[in-house]
Parts: sequence; structure tokens; C-alpha cells
Amino acid sequence: MSLANLTKPWAPMSYGFLDASAKRELRRKMIKAVCVPGCQMPYASREVPMARGWGTGGLQVSLTLINPAMRVKVIDQGADDSVNAASIRRFLARVSGAPTTLDTLDADLIQSRHRIPEEILREDQVLVLQVPNPEPLRSVQPNMSIARQMHGDADYGRMWLQLYEQIVRSGRVMQGASYPSMVNGRHVMTPSPIPRWDVPKLHMARHLTILSAGREKRIFAVPPYTRVEPLVFDDVPYRVEDHGGLTCYRSGATGFFMNEIPQGDGTSTYEVSDSEYGVKAIRARDGEVVAMGETWYKDGKMPQ
Amino acid sequence: MLTTPTADAAERSANATFDALLWALSRPGLPRQLPQAGEPALIAALVDRECHVYAGDPLLIPVVTQCGAKLVDLPQADHAFLGGLTEPELLRQLRCGSDLYPDDGATVVIRARFGTGAQVRLTGPGVNGAVDVQIGGLPDGFWARRAEMIRYPMGFDMLLLDAAQVIGLPRSTKVEVL
Repeated sequence: MSLANLTKPWAPMSYGFLDASAKRELRRKMIKAVCVPGCQMPYASREVPMARGWGTGGLQVSLTLINPAMRVKVIDQGADDSVNAASIRRFLARVSGAPTTLDTLDADLIQSRHRIPEEILREDQVLVLQVPNPEPLRSVQPNMSIARQMHGDADYGRMWLQLYEQIVRSGRVMQGASYPSMVNGRHVMTPSPIPRWDVPKLHMARHLTILSAGREKRIFAVPPYTRVEPLVFDDVPYRVEDHGGLTCYRSGATGFFMNEIPQGDGTSTYEVSDSEYGVKAIRARDGEVVAMGETWYKDGKMPQ
Repeated sequence: MLTTPTADAAERSANATFDALLWALSRPGLPRQLPQAGEPALIAALVDRECHVYAGDPLLIPVVTQCGAKLVDLPQADHAFLGGLTEPELLRQLRCGSDLYPDDGATVVIRARFGTGAQVRLTGPGVNGAVDVQIGGLPDGFWARRAEMIRYPMGFDMLLLDAAQVIGLPRSTKVEVL
């Protein structure tokens, strides 16, 4: 062993920004996360040039997986062009030389804040979700040590109680996003604040999903073909948002998750939340030849 | 203006190796091609001085010490490179973590031969229905010992190596010997 084989040539920056030891730690934790689906694994969560809580967890996973042949798509609430998405996409491309895309069908790696694209993801694609609060039990048990014990015991009674209280008070489940879901019949996870509309897309999906919370330093995963079942009562079925009948005012696309745009006269118009899907729908309407992928929802309904 | 860093050989190899490992563990039972045959590429991608490693094959000891990991006995190891396994009782000593911290369970790398030997049927997360695969080169009683040891979510995660091919076998996978 000599000094020469213990050191490396000087470089101004590690490839993909993170240093090699940070990547190895993330790799070890990602392996454990995939092997125990839905179980939160602690990890170190290194500093990245972005404030904690703005997608640092997802960014670290992307930086570990990225290579110059991997095409990256980043979305924020469905949009490719919001500040958060555009900044992360530009950063990923700058520190890795990876090509970027807006099209879900072209992407190898999709980092997302709070949406899953409308087009069905393939086996070779990886979805990375940014998670602000990884602990589904936090609202019923703020002590994280006790919450960990509850996960260990699969003691999820209070989650059901929380849903029951919402039904008693309001007549329906009020949980709009981060709907608690049972993964592989064992661990309850929060699917990150994706709308209820997107949770069924994780159930028995073809793609791998990695969820990472940088501020909270937890990582968890949903492998392909894994059961993800939203917590429901037998007599109160799971309901997604009533967007199945809405039409996008710009693209004319019908039956997808919509952004509501309030109008001056008190009414609302709607535009499709998956922005690139909307763009493709407009181009297809205008006569361009556009590859539209198969979508999870068909005519506003998720086939069982 | 920032210049884009380029990946050196070590980074390229580690990235491609991990890509294969993640794919293999996400789809148990389906063989995946590694960029290089053998354990050294796995060690470089996963292990560093934060790790406690057991090396069953003496030839791997210099590789492990080179990356700074501590060599320990099997019950303390978070990464166990068992080499070719002849004694199924070794599985009894593997670290399985706890219900509170399932991530303390070991990652185990074992050499095997695909396409010969016992036919097993895998079910569980990552498997679309069921997948049948022939895995040879493992001692008798291996699958029974594994099933005994794993009390999900406690358990260990296996990577089976046949030259440059890898099959992932997470603790969540149920194995039925046909």
C-alpha cells in the first residue's frame, strides 16, 4: 500500500457533485429501502447547494443514480417549467453532463415533486419523489421514537382512527395529499404529497419508485409489482379527486388531474396538471405527429 | 462558468455496478449483467471505512482492507462476502437487524451457478406473479435455513453472483423449492 494508490488525482468537483463516500452511503441505504418496501431507512443526507426542504432528498438520490447516458426529467406539481423543477434539472445536467428532457416517454430518471406523470412508466424508468414529511404517523404520534416502535409493531390503529374522525366530522375522508398507504401488507408509508389521484399508480407499477426526504434524513422505496393499498374502511371506498369529467381549457385533454384556475366571475377553468402531457395534446390537436404514451387513467377512470 | 465534471473509471464502474444491483434487487430472480465479474466491483461501489465486512474468501481480504472497511466476524458484519458457500449453518450467524431498525440486517454476497441445480419459485415485491429460476452451487438446506432466519422485516438481503451475472434476493422475497 503506497500513498499513490490511496489518493486520487485532484479534480475541481466530484462527478455528480456528491463525493464518493456520500454516494456509497446512499447506495447502501437504497438497497435496504428496496429490500424492505415502505420502511423508512435513516441516512446521512449531505449538504447540496439548495435549502433543505426544497427537494434535497430527491436530488441526492438523482445525483447518485445519474450518469452521462441517463436522460433526466424533473417535474414540480406536474409542471416541467416551474422554478424548482427548472433549477434542479439545470443543476443535474451541469454536474453530470446528462441530457434532459420534458417528455415522460424519453426519460430514464424522473425526479418529481408531488405528482406522478399521467403516462404509464416503463420497467426501465426510475421515479424519484421528493418527500417533505416521511413519517405517516407524525400527526398521531409526534415522538419519533415511539412512532418507530409503532412501525416495528405494525401498530397502525391510530391511522384508522384519524380517518374515522375525518369521516365523522366531515362526512368524507379529508386527506387530500400524502394519503397513508400500506406497502406490501406490512409498512404504512406516506406516498409524499401526491394527490389521491396518483396513489393507485404506485400499486403493482412496472417502475421502481424511490422516496427520499433530505431534511428528515429518511429514504424509502416501492419496488415494481408491489402492493400499495390506501388505508380505507370496507364500507367507505377509496375515492380519487372528481377530475375524471373535467376538460383542459388549453389542450382539450379530458380525464386527467387538473389545476383549477379561478376566474373573475367566480367560476373556474381547468388545465391539465401534467404540463408536458398538455403540450403534447396541443401539438397532436394541431396536426403534429406526437408520441402519446398509454395513460394510467382511461376516460377519467383507473382500470382495476 | 462551471465546467461539467467527467466521471473517472472508478465512478463509472461504481455507478454501473450499483445500477445493476438496484435493478436486480428490484426484480428478484431475474439475472442482470454486471459490468465486471466478481466481488471487487461490488466492494468498490458499496463498501468504505464506515462498514464492517466479513470476507469468506481470503482473496477478498486485501480488496476489503484497501477500501478502509473493518474486517470482522460474521455476526458483526453489515456486508458479508461469503464466496462459495459450503456450510449452510453460516447463515445462522448473519445479522438480521431488528423490527425497529431493519436496515441493520446484513447484505450478503454469495457465489452460485444459474441455470443448474435446484428449481425455486420466487414470489413477493418486485416479482410479477411468480418467477421460476434454477440456482445451483448452494449447499443442501440453504433455502430452509434462509426461511428460518428471516422474520420479515428482520432478515438479510442476498446477492447471488455467477461470474458477471447477479440475482438479487431481498428479504421480502418468498422462496419455494420446487
